[in-house]
Amino acid sequence: MQVTLKILRYNPEKDAQPHYERYTLDAEPTDRILDVLEKIKAYEDGTLTFRRSCAHGVCGSCAMRINGRNRLACKTLLQTLDTSKEITVEPILGLPRVKDLIVDMTTFFDNYKKVMPYFINDEPLPEDGRERLQSPEERERFDDTTKCILCGACTTACPTFWADNSYVGPSAIVNAHRFIFDSRDRAAAERLKILAGESGVFRCRTAFNCTEACPREIQITKAIAEVKRAIITGRLD
Amino acid sequence: MSFKTASEGYVKYQGLGNWAFVLHRLTGLGVILFLIIHVLDTAAVYFKPDLYVDAVSLYRSPVFGLGEILLVLSIIYHGLNGLRVIYFDMINPDMWTIEINRKSVIWTWIITLVLWLPAAVVMGSHILEHLGG
Repeated sequence: MQVTLKILRYNPEKDAQPHYERYTLDAEPTDRILDVLEKIKAYEDGTLTFRRSCAHGVCGSCAMRINGRNRLACKTLLQTLDTSKEITVEPILGLPRVKDLIVDMTTFFDNYKKVMPYFINDEPLPEDGRERLQSPEERERFDDTTKCILCGACTTACPTFWADNSYVGPSAIVNAHRFIFDSRDRAAAERLKILAGESGVFRCRTAFNCTEACPREIQITKAIAEVKRAIITGRLD
Repeated sequence: MSFKTASEGYVKYQGLGNWAFVLHRLTGLGVILFLIIHVLDTAAVYFKPDLYVDAVSLYRSPVFGLGEILLVLSIIYHGLNGLRVIYFDMINPDMWTIEINRKSVIWTWIITLVLWLPAAVVMGSHILEHLGG
């Protein structure tokens, strides 16, 4: 079958403004958008620029807007889209464009660092000097938010982040949630204090775009609501 | 990032959640605009009664009548959607799933229309009566 991709192109050395270019080529219904982009780059236009790495939905490099929604190009099969029409491919929104489908993720990772997304526990190790044990129920409490691959699809689908990227964004809150509700961690109060601030969870307007955009199917809006509740009640249940 | 980026997202980003959110914002803006005008014109009763009389006669025009019908739509949708969000967010976060969210958005629109249509018919017929003299 034939498929047409309408791609938002931007070369900062040549273009004053981004513009769309169309590419029509043969493809299989089982091809992914990433496969089509690779074909365009190999056979049609070698200047097309995008991020990719694992191509298996794990590295989080190829998040982009496909037909107006954030998705991973490597997880979006053509057969799930209406190929009788042009497929629009644009960079994720809310971060500075670098070139074509590549954006500068610095702000995204700066926001991620704000929530201390790492394990904190200064207490001595258990007597056997090995792992800090946790029950299956305690592990289950934050299982969903361990799945984040930091692709940025959620944060760049967030209307609050579009308007003001000092808002930490859904991804940072998901990664904070992962440690806040971890029974072994000891810095929940600090993280909740950060997230109770003016750039924190209460900037969330529950548009729900983040949950729809997450390629890992994390219940992001629910996680944000749980963090809000923990701040309000002071309890981690 | 900016007003421009947010506007692009509001208009172009696809999805029921985004549309529900944008509609919530627009109806909220409509309601606040009405409240500002309402407070100002009512204040005019005290400060400048003539202006108040002029304003009230202006509000009797069909254009403002249509605006009032849209105002009722805005209040009903903004209120219902607000209650939906408060319930999900503050009382039952387990309901923040894709399926429940999509269904609840559609139900909010349906209930809004069911509540709004009778009001729109009554208000619309008043406008028509007024036009007919």
